[in-house]
Amino acid sequence: MAMVDTGSVRLHVQRLGPGGGRPADATVVLVHGLLTDSLASHYFTVAPAFAAAGLDVVMYDLRGHGRSERPAEGYTLDHNIDDLEALLDRLGVSGPVHLVGNSYGGTVAFGYAARHPERASSVCLIESEPATPAWAEKLERILGWVVERLAHHEPEALAWVTANRGQHTARLAKGAARLVRETTLSRDIPASRVLTEEQVAAVRCPVLALYGGDSDLAGQAAWLKGVLPDCRTVIVPGHEHSILVEASGTVGGQVLALVAETLGTAAR
Amino acid sequence: MTPVSADEESVLADITGMLARLLEDEYGLDDVEIGMETTFNRDLELESIDLVTLAGLLQERYGDRVNFAEFLAGMEFDEIIELTVGRLVEYVVTSLKAAGAS
Repeated sequence: MAMVDTGSVRLHVQRLGPGGGRPADATVVLVHGLLTDSLASHYFTVAPAFAAAGLDVVMYDLRGHGRSERPAEGYTLDHNIDDLEALLDRLGVSGPVHLVGNSYGGTVAFGYAARHPERASSVCLIESEPATPAWAEKLERILGWVVERLAHHEPEALAWVTANRGQHTARLAKGAARLVRETTLSRDIPASRVLTEEQVAAVRCPVLALYGGDSDLAGQAAWLKGVLPDCRTVIVPGHEHSILVEASGTVGGQVLALVAETLGTAAR
Repeated sequence: MTPVSADEESVLADITGMLARLLEDEYGLDDVEIGMETTFNRDLELESIDLVTLAGLLQERYGDRVNFAEFLAGMEFDEIIELTVGRLVEYVVTSLKAAGAS
């Protein structure tokens, strides 16, 4: 298991490449979501196809998640962007990268692109959105609910999750409860520094935003298209928030098409 | 370590060893019974991130002849939840045979 010390936290990293000594065409960095998520969601869905398509695929567990270290503090969005920055630095990835983020991971990916426009070739948001004041308010509501239900009434909450979502999800929820109880995450995320509309619009690289047709985030598509200079959106009908896992073929194909297009443009 | 052999018995022994190591390292468990019918989720209570660790152990043992990530990426979520040790053993045996191991 590869652990990388960024200087402030030890992060679990997995990397897949084209194999057979083939050089990679570009690097794609995959960032997972909050609480119950880990790099496994990418590792067992889109990552093998990305590697087979000739990409250097970098996946890591956010601090506190998966197999990464769990410091008690430091869970604002800026901490996550700092971690990503330091990680790529440690891995020696200096050129621009394609960023793909699922849910909160997309918010981190977009934040990185907003901070370092020259280091982002493209950004793909999977069921995700940039950090805006509305985003911070929503996360405060969601995390408040999680703290109340999961951290303070764990047995009842877990019984409900087991009955309605199965044992595997319950096990993940248990891990989430621990993360919320033992760290400042639920207070840090809503207190994160957010972007103004001008700062969002300053991300000029191609942005692809994918949403489940039945997701309450689907409304983001029109807003992003209006604000960003180069944005395409895809709605995956019949799905809610879990399109990365449930419709990974569609999601992966869209990302590869965007990356191929960007590479084509760069070569001209 | 014994040489890699593409028969069910040896592969089961390999994988049982890997799982025992993983359960010990991550959960401090040292007496879990593992057989062909054992499920990763219900019986061993492994999380998806544990399967990433297992992928690394499989890579160490078999190199590029076995691609666990690709194997799982081709499955529906429900199939992964129901995945048994036996199904993985079969996949490894098939992959090793295809790659020309004896």
